[in-house]
Amino acid sequence: MKDGLWLEDASFRYGDLWVLRETELHVPPGRTLIVTGDNGVGKSTLLYVCAGLLNASAGHVWLDGHLAAAKKPSELMRQGVRRGFLFGQGGLLSNLSALANVTLALRYHADLFGMDEEDLNLRAREALAQLRVAQTDFHALPAHLSLGVRKRVALARAVALNPNFVFLDDPDGGLDSSTRNLVYERLERFRDDSGITVVIATNSRQLIERLAVEPMELAHGHLLPEDQSRRSRMA
Amino acid sequence: MRSTLPYDPRSDAVREASWVERIGRRAISSLSETWSLFGTLKDAIVSDFAPGVAAKRLVHGIMLTQVMFTGVQALSLVSAIGVLIGASIIIQTNMMMPADGELIGRVLVAVVLRELAPLITAIVVAGRSGTAIATELGNMKVNSEVLALSSLGIDPLRYVVLPRMIGCVVSVVALMIYFSIVSLSAAFAIGILASGASLSSFQQGVSGSVMPHDLALFFAKGLGLGTIVGWLSCHFGLQVNSSPTEVPQQASRAVVMSLLGCVVYNTLLTAGFYWLVGPPMPAP
Repeated sequence: MKDGLWLEDASFRYGDLWVLRETELHVPPGRTLIVTGDNGVGKSTLLYVCAGLLNASAGHVWLDGHLAAAKKPSELMRQGVRRGFLFGQGGLLSNLSALANVTLALRYHADLFGMDEEDLNLRAREALAQLRVAQTDFHALPAHLSLGVRKRVALARAVALNPNFVFLDDPDGGLDSSTRNLVYERLERFRDDSGITVVIATNSRQLIERLAVEPMELAHGHLLPEDQSRRSRMA
Repeated sequence: MRSTLPYDPRSDAVREASWVERIGRRAISSLSETWSLFGTLKDAIVSDFAPGVAAKRLVHGIMLTQVMFTGVQALSLVSAIGVLIGASIIIQTNMMMPADGELIGRVLVAVVLRELAPLITAIVVAGRSGTAIATELGNMKVNSEVLALSSLGIDPLRYVVLPRMIGCVVSVVALMIYFSIVSLSAAFAIGILASGASLSSFQQGVSGSVMPHDLALFFAKGLGLGTIVGWLSCHFGLQVNSSPTEVPQQASRAVVMSLLGCVVYNTLLTAGFYWLVGPPMPAP
């Protein structure tokens, strides 16, 4: 059984631009992978490929032994793969309120989770409260929320799913120091949870130091430990 | 990967493709586009049979909202167009054959029920809701909302495309019926006032011209045209990649292709149907 995230000879490219070349990688549950790299090297794309939101051009990506690029996203959920994904700008559904964004996946899979309307509302409110989203913002549309609040709502949406995989794209980008601290606290909890595989794309030194995880650098389609990548570049 | 070498403009020079290559590329691209177009329709329909009672309930809710936006909110516009179309037909027919209520009734059935009600309703829905759907889906793509749905284990085709498609089908069929009623009523009223023909002669003309198979054609047109508008609007909306400038381009493409698809479908169905069942109007 391939527990956690497995990349098996995985490649991805946009036309002639390689983001990932024949990469082998295993991130077991309870481990955190931080990916750094220059702007435009494809850190976000790598996250999408790892989460199965984009199909690898070659090779395979496995999430807990299931092919990440399942034909239907709901199949993965039914197989027990719960993915929390924080997009760079939040990725909230613009026609739903903050609360409705958090309850959406719970409501869609209510039969799978065995939840009724009251349960899912409660779980969503708890998740929003954990991320200190003000009650007055619960019914606001994403367009009326600041970037910091949008990111916290998106994180609450991931938390509410009780995920076993968390993918975070630039989680502290554009946040003020108090919101950043709050996000860091939540990320530390993800890192310390032995059942969650975490993949973070960031260039924030503060976040890397806070999580105390050795980052890997994405460059020229290869994922290498940062110091090794630096040495090979100097050579 | 980005090159670290200094920029060399010669590297951007593209080799001139031969005409065979160009035709081949065009053919491959058209085939893959057609494949993806029908893939959207098939996958959306199949998605309704996917497991998940809660998902089904949620999608039905969105479907009702779509019917509200596409059908109910278009009533006033369809009413106005229905009255005006009915009036125009009466004016034309009255000039040809004054005070012949029966003939006017027959013309109304042939023009309004068989052709204009389906086509005009589909055009109104494509213009009003098709653009809205394509723009909404295009913006969802730009804002990573479609990817966000996938990451949450929600099938975008089931959650986004299916309810909009069915909403369009239900709305087009309901609006067609409404359009026919409004248009015929307006035509009767104006006809009685303008030409002095009797209501009973109108009724005789209409009831004598409507065949049972007309109803089959009417609903086949409604179902088909509604599907075309919903399907193409969703498909082209989802063709947006990541740039906001693609949104209006795809929205306009969605409407143009929907209108073209509707006219072609309507004509083919009319021709095919009467070729199969014989002439619609019994000889006087």
